[in-house]
Amino acid sequence: MSAIALQFLRELGFVLLQHKDHGRFVLLSPPPPWLLELWGAYDVNGGEIRIVEKSPFLENFLFEADTFWQSGKTGLCQSEMWIEKSVSGKEIALAAIALESGGKRLLALHSPESQFHERQQLLQTARNSLLDHEKLQREIQKKEILLHCIIHDLSQPLSVMSVALDCMIGEQISDRGQGLLDLGRKASDQQCLMIRDILQVFAADLQASMDAESKPGSAPDLLACASSVLNAFVPVYAAKGVQLRINDSAKQRSDWRVRGQGRRLERIFSNLLENALRYSPPGSTVTIGLEEQGEFLKAYVDDEGPGLPADMTPAQIFALFSKGKESGGKAGLGLYFCRLTVERWGGIISCESRPERGSRFWFQLPGVSAEVERTPQAAESQPPPNRVPLIKRPMRVLLADDQNEIRLLTAHQLERNGHHVVAVANGQEALDALQKESFDVALLDEDMPLMTGLQALKAIREREDKFSALIVIALTGYNSEPDRQRLLHAGFDSVIGKPFRLDALEALLQGAAESVSAAPTVAPRAVVKSPWEIVLDRVAGDEQLARKMVLTFLRETPPRMAGIQKALTKKSGARLASFAHALKGSVSIFDAHGARECAEKLQDLGRANSFTEATGLYSQLKEEIAHLEENLRGYAGRRRPREPGASSKNQRRSSKPKPKQP
Amino acid sequence: MIQKKICMLGAFAVGKTSLVRRFVESIFSETYHTTVGVKIDRKTLQLNATEINLVLWDLYGDDDFQKIRWSHFQGAYGYLLVADGTRRSTLEKALLLEERARQEIGSVPFVFVINKSDLAKDWELDAQVEAQLQAKKWTVLRSSAKTGEGVEEAFAELTRKMLV
Repeated sequence: MSAIALQFLRELGFVLLQHKDHGRFVLLSPPPPWLLELWGAYDVNGGEIRIVEKSPFLENFLFEADTFWQSGKTGLCQSEMWIEKSVSGKEIALAAIALESGGKRLLALHSPESQFHERQQLLQTARNSLLDHEKLQREIQKKEILLHCIIHDLSQPLSVMSVALDCMIGEQISDRGQGLLDLGRKASDQQCLMIRDILQVFAADLQASMDAESKPGSAPDLLACASSVLNAFVPVYAAKGVQLRINDSAKQRSDWRVRGQGRRLERIFSNLLENALRYSPPGSTVTIGLEEQGEFLKAYVDDEGPGLPADMTPAQIFALFSKGKESGGKAGLGLYFCRLTVERWGGIISCESRPERGSRFWFQLPGVSAEVERTPQAAESQPPPNRVPLIKRPMRVLLADDQNEIRLLTAHQLERNGHHVVAVANGQEALDALQKESFDVALLDEDMPLMTGLQALKAIREREDKFSALIVIALTGYNSEPDRQRLLHAGFDSVIGKPFRLDALEALLQGAAESVSAAPTVAPRAVVKSPWEIVLDRVAGDEQLARKMVLTFLRETPPRMAGIQKALTKKSGARLASFAHALKGSVSIFDAHGARECAEKLQDLGRANSFTEATGLYSQLKEEIAHLEENLRGYAGRRRPREPGASSKNQRRSSKPKPKQP
Repeated sequence: MIQKKICMLGAFAVGKTSLVRRFVESIFSETYHTTVGVKIDRKTLQLNATEINLVLWDLYGDDDFQKIRWSHFQGAYGYLLVADGTRRSTLEKALLLEERARQEIGSVPFVFVINKSDLAKDWELDAQVEAQLQAKKWTVLRSSAKTGEGVEEAFAELTRKMLV
């Protein structure tokens, strides 16, 4: 090799060695400083260098280099970069190139420090990004669970507290008790606001996430997601000796797109497969299957383990922090995440023991075709306003909520305000109730087991011929404006956010009722009925129940009136509003419009802390109440009083006390 | 003195370099520095009455950016298969790499090390899979390059296996 070529290589930082035999080399160019530092001056300048003794990496590379030299190929054989420590402990980056020139087998070594650092920086950035991405995915799951906890698991008990406190209004309690009640209501209001504020912080995230989920073009494919997760899980399954497969049912169709978002859908499959593996004995098989279920597409994971624990329901298994008994998972969040995600997309998730052996965990989601039809409309149109149309009289209300306390207390309060209520625990029971009797209003909780509010609504809207007059109102823990719009778009006539105050619910119902009077479509009342007849109508002629209601009214009204008077004396707006509100509800049962109007005005004045007109209104209310009590007093006992001239036999509706003259 | 070559194998960021540093220099750094290419270290180990010079080949993590070159395993007597207990995906990667290693270099002694045992609250690996691997005669150890837990034992166990 010419001196010029050697100088050129030296300038580039290379050192050239010529291969003699059996791993022996001689230097063809002066050693650069890094080589002296690495191998020592004595060894380098001593003539022959036995590479195998100097560098384990080069010892290895010589196998590749030998193959290259023997092949007679032209070009170069390059090694990867490697790092070796010098005698002084310094790390030196190295690279080697084997080549042949003029029949000589040559080895060029160099220390590509800058190239090494550039490459390291690039890889460091890429891998840091991957780690961040993984971490972010985990954080997103945690955040979604946290949000759901706030929305559902904190709001629900708060609703119960709030409704329970509302129900205490008008009860006979001491001044001190009243003070404590006000304190409790104030605290529950504050907590409601705090929950809404927290949700507000996440509103942008929620909106972005929902936008991504509702884009028709981005609908994930069940089969593609299942396959992707299956590939990742095969080695782990193999390690445990469990086979993992997708069954042939997936070939039924080519398009398995569903509502949702790909990454989350993969996470659902991933959580279900992790769960299945946990309970699968070696030698068994876990099968992923897909099925059509009308407009829904269903995916299931079958295992051959011990089946579900006999003492646990599917709802418990999918609950927060739920763990199996024998081989618990991690934090009990995986299946919970699956449930809240599937339900958020309008789907259902559940599990069951299989008749042969093992268990089946399944979920179904709306197929994308229905979604595609719906979404563009939703995107183009403005969010519809609340669509509660005109309703006459106190209403027949169907209340569906999975939480016992909410059902009990809401029903109690609605009944106390004169409405007829049937309370059920899920969407399916709501549909069953609708088959048996007719209702004016259905209040459906969005988030219920077995059948959600959205699914029940869908079934109701499909029977438009039968339920065209039914007003369907959503009760939801998702309190953001985008969620309200989502539910209105889904077909609800109105939306009430949880935790809700009963007066808000009542205001919505009363607001609807008030519209009745102005509505030309509603036929005017042909005959003026007495309060007794009205209440008797309301309970479908059940005299005993009607008497109970009258008795309750007569018993509860004096303390309420006294409460109003006291609130006026003490100028307590909150108490005035509370007592007037309670009274308004109770007089509504008897269609006592005058009394109701006075009570409502007093309630408004109380809320505004204004007392100038209140005294006059109170006098008017007192008079209205006195007339109403007079009309009702005779019906409060066990038996209806005998009318002058009436037969001694019971006459269900013919007799009535003299109505108050306007 | 006997000399044995050991390779470190596993996904990226599982702590292969940290395990070697802890073993060779008793040092741990919280900062993650990705490995480019191959890093070679040495450590003399006293096992019973025998002194063994271990040549440790710390290979970069296998991923889409850098694929393992199996030629690096030429002359290796064994390898430490490493996963990160806080990232389930690294277990999947380790199992795939072990299968590839069997195909490429045949049956070579190895020890499966699940690293980062100090991060117990973030643990993602299923204890059942661990038990199942042990049932398949794998040597499975938990380690922490941070605290040093299980590090010496892992290298010593691998050396013992290599000497058999």
